[in-house]
Amino acid sequence: MADFVQLVILGLLAGGVYVAVGVGFGLVWGVLNIVNLAHGALVIVGAYLTWQLFNTFGLDPFLSLPLVAVALFAFGYALQRSIINRIIRAPLLFTFMLTFGVNLVLINVLLLVFKSDFRSVTTSYSGQGLELGAIVIPYTRLASLAAALLLAAVLAFILNRTRTGLAIQAVAADRDAAQLVGIDLRHLYAFTFGLGAACAGVAGGLITLIQAITPTAGEPYTLQAFVVVILGGLGRVSATVVGGLAFGLVEVFGQSIPGSGSVFANAIAFGLMVLVLVTRPQGLFGRIH
Amino acid sequence: MIQTLDASRRWRWILPFLGAVVVAYALLAPLTSLDAAQAINLPLLADKVWFRIATIIAMFVVLATAWNIIGGLVGYAAFGNVAFFGIGAYTTGMLIAKAKWPFLLALPLAPIAAAIFAALVGLPLLRLRGHYFAVASLGVGVAVGELVQNLDYGGQPIFGGASGLFLPIFSIDNRGLFFFYLMLGAAAIAIAVTWLVLRSRFGYGLIAIRENEEAAAVMGVNTTAYKVAAFALAAALTGLAGGIFSQWNVFINQDNTFPIEYNVQMILMAMAGGTGTVFGPAAGAILLQLLIQFLSGSLPITLDLPFVPSDARPVLAQIILGLLLMLVVIFAPRGVIDFFGGRSRLSLSYLRRSLRETSI
Repeated sequence: MADFVQLVILGLLAGGVYVAVGVGFGLVWGVLNIVNLAHGALVIVGAYLTWQLFNTFGLDPFLSLPLVAVALFAFGYALQRSIINRIIRAPLLFTFMLTFGVNLVLINVLLLVFKSDFRSVTTSYSGQGLELGAIVIPYTRLASLAAALLLAAVLAFILNRTRTGLAIQAVAADRDAAQLVGIDLRHLYAFTFGLGAACAGVAGGLITLIQAITPTAGEPYTLQAFVVVILGGLGRVSATVVGGLAFGLVEVFGQSIPGSGSVFANAIAFGLMVLVLVTRPQGLFGRIH
Repeated sequence: MIQTLDASRRWRWILPFLGAVVVAYALLAPLTSLDAAQAINLPLLADKVWFRIATIIAMFVVLATAWNIIGGLVGYAAFGNVAFFGIGAYTTGMLIAKAKWPFLLALPLAPIAAAIFAALVGLPLLRLRGHYFAVASLGVGVAVGELVQNLDYGGQPIFGGASGLFLPIFSIDNRGLFFFYLMLGAAAIAIAVTWLVLRSRFGYGLIAIRENEEAAAVMGVNTTAYKVAAFALAAALTGLAGGIFSQWNVFINQDNTFPIEYNVQMILMAMAGGTGTVFGPAAGAILLQLLIQFLSGSLPITLDLPFVPSDARPVLAQIILGLLLMLVVIFAPRGVIDFFGGRSRLSLSYLRRSLRETSI
């Protein structure tokens, strides 16, 4: 029983990172209709920024999250405004390929600058945990989950309670009608992509706490962001949060299968995704478009 | 006006002519490495390094042309075609290594296995549209590779596991030459199949689905059957290339038969050449694969790039590839094939028009 509770807790904690990775990806997908293959690369850019701030100034990763978010927002805004807006009306394959090109450039520029060495951030409190009887809750993971949920809450607030957020939702609902009522699409698309990139940056900051990073370490996160968004459903931040936590649980329980459960992590995740797609395409909690 | 017309006419025959010369050279030059040719002192026009590169290029011609059938003709953005390549490679590889079949008997089963698998996963997957199909097919590609590497039975890996699968060497004189022509034959089959499909009732049905699936269904096209058939056809061709690859390379594992980057490369090649056309994907595959090989420094002709240390070269090659990918997508959405045959000319106004069509 304690084992089971421990697994559930570990799964939810692991889900924190997936929530952070998923919300930005889901926002860009839902509003811009872009499946952003560079999302994992943006996550890793955020991770390297966090690592650099920690290494040079000794800044705690949690404190550098807002800085990373602002930097990635600016980068994402510029990227969408200058490049991705150019093909926003092309068939989906084009945006797929364009963002993959961005992914390739980002990862290889990181490889040029940082080489492929493993880098990690070790804080004074890493390795410590809250012990409740037989159950252990690592502090960094708990704080990561809290940060991810805070990120989702901030994003939901921006989308539902601010003028820009309502404009974003209007564009997602009907692009042409939104333009007719005077919404500046170029700016708004760039703003949305910037928000998505900022979320990716925060996710990257959280990732430095749980794993060593290399320039190519972000690629699995693009795929996992897919799965998370599809599990939860497109169109709502809360659905992505549920999807992220569910994915964390699936991963932890999949790895605990005796024998070779851990090597099938991807197969389990994708099998689940295909199952959800075929039986319930709007996701577990999504809205039907 | 008359002058530009003349100029475009001249271009129209010069380029296919040059292309024909290059293709003829590529086809015939390897023959000079035969013992018989060497015995009568013909100059050696192509060495082993070239065979290897030419075989890889032919392989990508097959992959890009096969992808074009599902991605270009039906318009379904398949991102997991590498699964069929791996299934073809492992079908042939297992039959040769474990069941001791001769290569030429084991090869035809590669496309059959890949096509059966594609039909089975295609039935549920092809009900999905747009991004959902792309993502789900990518998931299948990743999952199949992982299963092949990790499935075991009674503690023994079924497919060779993480250490891969070694095949006995196919003994034939001039192995390199044999596999080059075999892969070339596969490429010719792929192109011929595309040509035939485009001229058939089946091909018209596929294009109707691409343009408007509901309308196609109303017109009496059995969309499910057509889509699954196209998917299986693409898989069969991809699986054939995989089967040839397994015996050519002698060693197969997850990394060389299920590489995720092949998924993107084959699509990029088809797009750079021109999707939905017969020769576009092949042209894109040749151009881009030569570029990739050149940038990574594995061509016999190399240039020292200024300011670049040799160990940073592969990384730089990837950056250039990424930038090229972005440029192609933004400025030449119909591929280079659009400039041949006098339909369009590469000019500033063409680039400006492509840009305006898709931007906001």
